[in-house]
Order: sequence, then structure tokens, then C-alpha cells
Amino acid sequence: METQDFEKKLSEMTKPEMPQLKHENMLANAIINARDKSVVSWWWLSVPVFIILMLMMKSTFMPVTTLISNMHELESSQKYMSLIFFLISPVVLIIINVASIRKIYLLSGSPKSFHFLGSAWFNILIISVSILILIIYSL
Amino acid sequence: MNFPWFKRIGIFFIPATIAGWIILVAGIAFAIYSFIDIDSRSHSVSDTLMNFVFMCLIIGAVYSLIAYATSRVKWK
Repeated sequence: METQDFEKKLSEMTKPEMPQLKHENMLANAIINARDKSVVSWWWLSVPVFIILMLMMKSTFMPVTTLISNMHELESSQKYMSLIFFLISPVVLIIINVASIRKIYLLSGSPKSFHFLGSAWFNILIISVSILILIIYSL
Repeated sequence: MNFPWFKRIGIFFIPATIAGWIILVAGIAFAIYSFIDIDSRSHSVSDTLMNFVFMCLIIGAVYSLIAYATSRVKWK
């Protein structure tokens, strides 16, 4: 009798179903976190970008000077500020955004194609602008 | 205390609680104070605007950092 009941129960049993995988949640959180980080990065990057635009404007209206010469002038007059906004800040932002992209890449299952980068395009833009700022500062 | 204090919409962090609104109002008040201070020391309108925009960007950067830090904390 007990065996029959057990067989009946066994036949009624279904496979356990998980409507949502934990891995999917982790990937979604990683993408949201990467976007939040890229927005904060954009705000921090807007300061050196604004300074560079102002120096470009200055070099346009004062033909004797160039962007590089104005940059050196700023570097000598505002040593710590230029160090923070043109060296430390871009380097930190590159590290943060690369780490975010790497996390998305790993959670996506290390794909061979670059389709996963579509969800992290703003992070890539931030990294590109940061590298550009570092190049301008190092000239 | 209720968290998160902010929610992100586009490139802006919008306050979601009273604490968030207090931080936003403090940021705006500091921006107004900065404008008055810069305007009293500047020689032209463009001089005022350039320095004020620079100050606004710094305030925005600090505000976004605070908003990001407090929007990461989960509801308890």
C-alpha cells in the first residue's frame, strides 16, 4: 500500500522550477551598478573637460598661446588641483569603469563576441575621454 | 533611516527621501552662495559665468558621489 502511494506521489512530482535565475539578477545588478558608476564618473570627468575647453577657448582668443602652453601654465600655478583633476581622477575612473566592464563580461559567461559591450557603452566612452585627458596632460 | 536616498534618472540623481532633498537643497544653497561670492570678486559677466559653471560642476560631482553612495544602501 505504502509503495503504491509512493509511486503515485512520485508520478505526480514535477521538476523543481526556478522562474528567475540568481545569475540573471547578478548580471542585471552589475549592469545597473556600472551605469550608476558611469554617471558619477561623467560628473567627475566634466570638471577637467570644462577646464580643457576653457583653455582651448583661451588659446583661440590669444593666438600667441596654445592649449599645451596654457596647460603648463595651469600646472605651475595650480599644482594640486591639476594633479587631482588631470591625473588622479582619470586614472581612478579608468580603473573603476574597467572593473565594471570586466564584471559584466564575467557574468555574461565570458562571451567571445563583443555584444555585451552594448550595455556598457557609456563606461567605454568615459574610459576613452579619461585616456584623452591623460594624453593631453602628459604632453 | 530609509534608504536609498536617491534614484537615478539619466545622468541625474533625484532625491527619493527627505534626507535626499536636504542634500539637494544644501547643494543649491551652496551654489547660490558661490555665485554671489564669485560675482562680488569678478570683473565681467563672462568671468562670473566661467567660474560659476566650474563651481557648479564641482558641486555636481560631489553631489553625485554622495547620491551614488547612499543609493547603493538597501532598504532595511
